[in-house]
Amino acid sequence: MNLLTVLLLFTAMVLSRVSNLRTAVKILLFQSIMVTVACLQAGWNTGEAHMYIAAVLTVLIKAGLIPFALFRVVKILRREREANPILGPTNSFVASAMLIVMAYWLIDRQLPGVLSRDALAASVSLVLIGLLLIMTRRQAVMQIIGLITMENGLYLLGLSVTMGLPLVIELGIFLDVLVAVVVLVILTYRLKLSFMTTDTSVLKKLKG
Amino acid sequence: MITMREFIILALFLPLLTGTVTMLAAKPQTIKVINLTGSIFTSLTLLAIIYQITLCKVFSAGILYVDYLSAVLLLVVAVLSFTSVLFSTSYMERDLKDGHISLQMLARYYGLLNLFIFTMICVLVVGNLGLMWVAIEATTLASALLVAFYFNRSALEAAWKYVMVCTVGICLALLGTIILYYTQLNVNGNGSEALNWLMLRDIGFLLDPAMVKLAFVFIFIGYGTKAGLAPMHTWLPDAHSQAPSPVSGLLSGALLSCALYVIMRNMIVVQEAVGSEFVHNLLIVFGLASILIAVPFILVQHDLKRLLAYSSVEHIGLITFGLGIGSPLAVYGALLHIVNHAVAKSALFYLAGVITQEYQTKNIVRIRGLMNVSPILGTLFMIAVLAITGSPPFSIFVSKFTLIWAAFVGGYPMLGGVTLLLMSGIFAGMMYYCLRMCFGPTPKKLEFQRVGAPAMAALVLSVGIVVIGGMFLPSWLHTILTQAATIVVGG
Repeated sequence: MNLLTVLLLFTAMVLSRVSNLRTAVKILLFQSIMVTVACLQAGWNTGEAHMYIAAVLTVLIKAGLIPFALFRVVKILRREREANPILGPTNSFVASAMLIVMAYWLIDRQLPGVLSRDALAASVSLVLIGLLLIMTRRQAVMQIIGLITMENGLYLLGLSVTMGLPLVIELGIFLDVLVAVVVLVILTYRLKLSFMTTDTSVLKKLKG
Repeated sequence: MITMREFIILALFLPLLTGTVTMLAAKPQTIKVINLTGSIFTSLTLLAIIYQITLCKVFSAGILYVDYLSAVLLLVVAVLSFTSVLFSTSYMERDLKDGHISLQMLARYYGLLNLFIFTMICVLVVGNLGLMWVAIEATTLASALLVAFYFNRSALEAAWKYVMVCTVGICLALLGTIILYYTQLNVNGNGSEALNWLMLRDIGFLLDPAMVKLAFVFIFIGYGTKAGLAPMHTWLPDAHSQAPSPVSGLLSGALLSCALYVIMRNMIVVQEAVGSEFVHNLLIVFGLASILIAVPFILVQHDLKRLLAYSSVEHIGLITFGLGIGSPLAVYGALLHIVNHAVAKSALFYLAGVITQEYQTKNIVRIRGLMNVSPILGTLFMIAVLAITGSPPFSIFVSKFTLIWAAFVGGYPMLGGVTLLLMSGIFAGMMYYCLRMCFGPTPKKLEFQRVGAPAMAALVLSVGIVVIGGMFLPSWLHTILTQAATIVVGG
């Protein structure tokens, strides 16, 4: 198991504990940089130019524009923090540890003896922990972070099983992720304006 | 002579051009003219593509790919994008006059609407499962800001749920697509023709069945979320009820169908690899669940647009059920139902738009005496509700009948019977609310304003298609549907 995998899992574990939005964005930034390094490493190993282009895009979009947008919106939100998550810090920490175990179990069962076992398990863990964040956090920004964690996991998965999707598809995915974050940031900002809070538990009017 | 490739590029380029020019225009009148012109040309180009498909059957060049199956959906987008822009002009004019929106918002509305139409056309003209994923995600993002258009509390709630639920769903579809790509790599080694649909279909029988099954489960759940299949439909009533009515019509008629289209494309590949039984069972279960879940919400409903949204869940469920039966007749019925449902449901959403603007409420209890307020609107509404619930002689009756018939002859008489029973429940619910709204005393304060000519044209056109479609099916449409059904059934 290499250092990169450990660091990625570490960021995901920590994300399940934090309640300060600014800290969470910082951890996400660190996670995205790790994804870039993984991408560069894959490029180094295979010698494919397309990996380097993907790495540049990852840095630009996931470690540049997305954290920038999130930092800006967090600045406006000031005193917002994850006050009463559905799963408390300790519980969600335990839950994410269990998800990592589950990811290893899944990989060993579906793909026994696969070469990039650790990388695969790490990426599946990222997807699962991202999903956990979306489900158990009430703060809009934390849900966005969960979504990007999930996307990072999927990206790493593609990287480790297939050496990345074809470049044109990958470009499209990057563009979609970027626009998704922009749309969500706009909505978060509007939530703050309309509801005076970005705690999504206030969104319960539409029913039936 | 313009070639197919140029037509497709033109169809992609026109909405973008219209959207850009709209953002630069200053006067409402100019914006209206630009969008009507742009929409007419876009729809004509789409019809030209469909005509070309009937000549050359399959067109494949680089990432572009169209065949009869795309033609069915292109027809839906061509008709609906035109009627929705036509209806938008009057609807937005009224909103502007009533002071619900500003001039700046008007330009933004048309810009986003054109972007939304562009992304839907993208889904239908690319021949690569990865790019289809990109385009479907783009439709979510373009329409999210349209759902949130009024930026009031409920619209924000609907948009937030819409983006979150659909993006997570679509992430699962990406996971499935990556797994599918992995199985493809195991067969042909290098990454050439990656995720190309034609290629995948041709080598389908070589793919590893276990992995393909896993991939399809993720893909189906992912795009199923987008198509509004139960139990992933939770975003749908919120988004459909909060979006401006012309957009609700497009979301329900065109977008849900586009998601089903991508499911069909994946399904064709997967059934080559693992046989059709696995795929069909999955479709039947989710299809029936969607019909079942819609019934109680239709029987006890307080909001007009949510009523229509749950009816969409039912119809998408019925189409999925038809695809799950899998015989050529059933798939033919399902495809015909996609077209019929799109036209009828968009007409209903436009009517709901006029009604909510007139009564200033979406609450069914407060809408009374529509027949007195405007006999034309009342009649159109009655026809549209009768049509959507499957009464003869309207077009939906034909496709529903085909689907149920296919269920009975295709070895699912029990499920066909249950579906009929559920549909009669839905008929009762929809008709009860429809009659309540059409008759009874008119509220005193109401001053009826004449519906704008473009909106009336859109309504009469849509309802006209529904009425005529019940008695007469053009032979070219029959050919397209039969050929498309052959593609879906495979072999």
